[in-house]
Amino acid sequence: MKLCKAIYVFLGMLSIQASADRLYFNDLPTPKSLDDLRAIQEAMQSNLSRARRATVCLQIGEGSGSGVIVSPEGLVLTAAHVTGGVGEEVTVVMEDGTEYQGVSLGLNAKTDAAMLKITESGPFPFVEYDKNDATKLGDWVFSLGHSGGYDKARGINVRIGRLVREAETTIQSDCMLIGGDSGGPLFDMTGKVIGIHSRVGASKEESMHVPLREFQAHWEKLEKSDFVGEGPFAKKPVPGGGFLGMMVEASLEKKGLRVTELWEKGPAEKAGIKVGDLILEVEGGSATKELLKSTLGQLGSGQKILIKWTGGEETQEKEVKLEDRP
Amino acid sequence: MKIIIAIILCSSVLGNTLPSEQRKTNKSMQATLSPVQKYLQESSAVFYDSKRRVPFVYGTIVSSDGLILTKASELDEVEEFYIRIGAERYKEPNILKKNEIWDLALVKVEAEGLIPVKLDGSSEVALGTWTVSNGASDRKTRRPRPGIISANKREIKGGSPAVLGVGFRMEDDRITITKITEDSGADKAGLEKGDLIIGLDGKEVGDDKEFIELLKAKAAGEIVKLKIQRDEEVLELDVELMARHKLFGGPQSRNDSMSGDFSERRSSFPMVLQHETMLSARSVGGPLFTLDGRFLGMNIAAANRVEAFAIPVEHLSNVFSEMKTASGL
Repeated sequence: MKLCKAIYVFLGMLSIQASADRLYFNDLPTPKSLDDLRAIQEAMQSNLSRARRATVCLQIGEGSGSGVIVSPEGLVLTAAHVTGGVGEEVTVVMEDGTEYQGVSLGLNAKTDAAMLKITESGPFPFVEYDKNDATKLGDWVFSLGHSGGYDKARGINVRIGRLVREAETTIQSDCMLIGGDSGGPLFDMTGKVIGIHSRVGASKEESMHVPLREFQAHWEKLEKSDFVGEGPFAKKPVPGGGFLGMMVEASLEKKGLRVTELWEKGPAEKAGIKVGDLILEVEGGSATKELLKSTLGQLGSGQKILIKWTGGEETQEKEVKLEDRP
Repeated sequence: MKIIIAIILCSSVLGNTLPSEQRKTNKSMQATLSPVQKYLQESSAVFYDSKRRVPFVYGTIVSSDGLILTKASELDEVEEFYIRIGAERYKEPNILKKNEIWDLALVKVEAEGLIPVKLDGSSEVALGTWTVSNGASDRKTRRPRPGIISANKREIKGGSPAVLGVGFRMEDDRITITKITEDSGADKAGLEKGDLIIGLDGKEVGDDKEFIELLKAKAAGEIVKLKIQRDEEVLELDVELMARHKLFGGPQSRNDSMSGDFSERRSSFPMVLQHETMLSARSVGGPLFTLDGRFLGMNIAAANRVEAFAIPVEHLSNVFSEMKTASGL
């Protein structure tokens, strides 16, 4: 009974919030006149410049997606299939071309929700997001994103539509999306983010977004860089599944591990390690075969291992990103 | 650069669905847009393929006595066409002039009392402003399709490289044709293996690098004058350039494969307004209006799933004057 009461109160709060923010045209089955359309346009336009300032292009490796800044400190909401993993380095590009460095935080592989953080100091332009799950089927919405990648002359692409379907972990709009929009924001007509672009269907006007409630359900975990859920949008690193591409043997004359063989274009070779180099430390501990083996045993593809090595005169330390086993 | 988006086909996901007639482009929205429909009705021309009797492109009426601007490259796709304005049919349209830079064709029909678009207006318009274009059409009626101004006004560069359909290399300091691709412009123009290329559009070309540079400035659909030497004979042949992907096929980009029926010529425009309207290659060429019926420009390309381009009215007006003068009008 206690549970029921809690839900009742929660729902009660929702309806109050919803009615306060509701714009009249959202409750029309269809706009009845050009003035209704003008009201929709004006509502959107009054929020556009702020919304655009907070919408970013995300460049990760060879890929390009979109995202939206939701805090002055630079917390960004995006899609899991854009970040692809936890702890990825990301270049965050503002509409005017200013670039910031960032790192991906947690993600939900089941719903396609993900977060990342700009690692430079703010304050950054940001937008509010829907905390009350206040949208309804048929609400007018607008969509922003860097369709097809960053294009300075074009700027951000704006699209308009309605919420045409609501499901548990997905909302669908008839705004049109294309590659590069993934991770970008869907706004209600008060300028709050209500969803994140995830995927498209067969017809042009079939666009799927992750609702904000799915972010809220796991907010703290996502902020703490947790890999949540299992699903098609990101592959969870399997412990021991990471590949370094380096053979070593214990050095007889010196403390450390001697590199005897490297996999061509493997992670170790790409980091600059050469055959004959001496591995000094693994994750800060003196390099032994046992330590290397046990450390690799806990790491999966996409995760990083800290290695310190010397080629004789020069000593280097780098985080080497593990890959899938070839 | 890889562009990230997952593409899935949704099947039976449970949820609440908005009745389809309430969606953005559906019937009830057309009723709402009916006050703007009259502008489309008055100033749009519909181009029909005479053979198949289906519309294949629109036009924008620019004079009361029957001058119409349309997308030039689409006219090349049909052998013969007729035009409908309102419910009236015009049998013998005459192509007066083409402009490659803007991909425009000036067409004349015998008519009077038509209502042209206003060419002295401005295309200044805020991002997010509603627009109305031609969606579908039947014999009598043009149907409005809504959209919004969706990005900055700008130049569209580049495009799919235009090719003649020949392989060539330098032999004894002459550009020698070594291969002719079947069904290419070169094939149709009767070029042969062993022909020596000596000039392009009135310019002499010395080596293959110079020739490639000259070709780069051309667009697919253009017809170039290729000067060749065959044995002791010097010939000048008209050769149609084709888009590389059209001639050789090859994989489309992911964004193209999800964009449906987009315009063949969708790049290399000095200036465009961009709007988000669900257009196809067949629904460009007509006018773009605001809700107040202000003429903003002429739809010139369905570029992809999310971007449609229109030539801004100021530019359209200038090109129209040039084309009119060049046609002796």
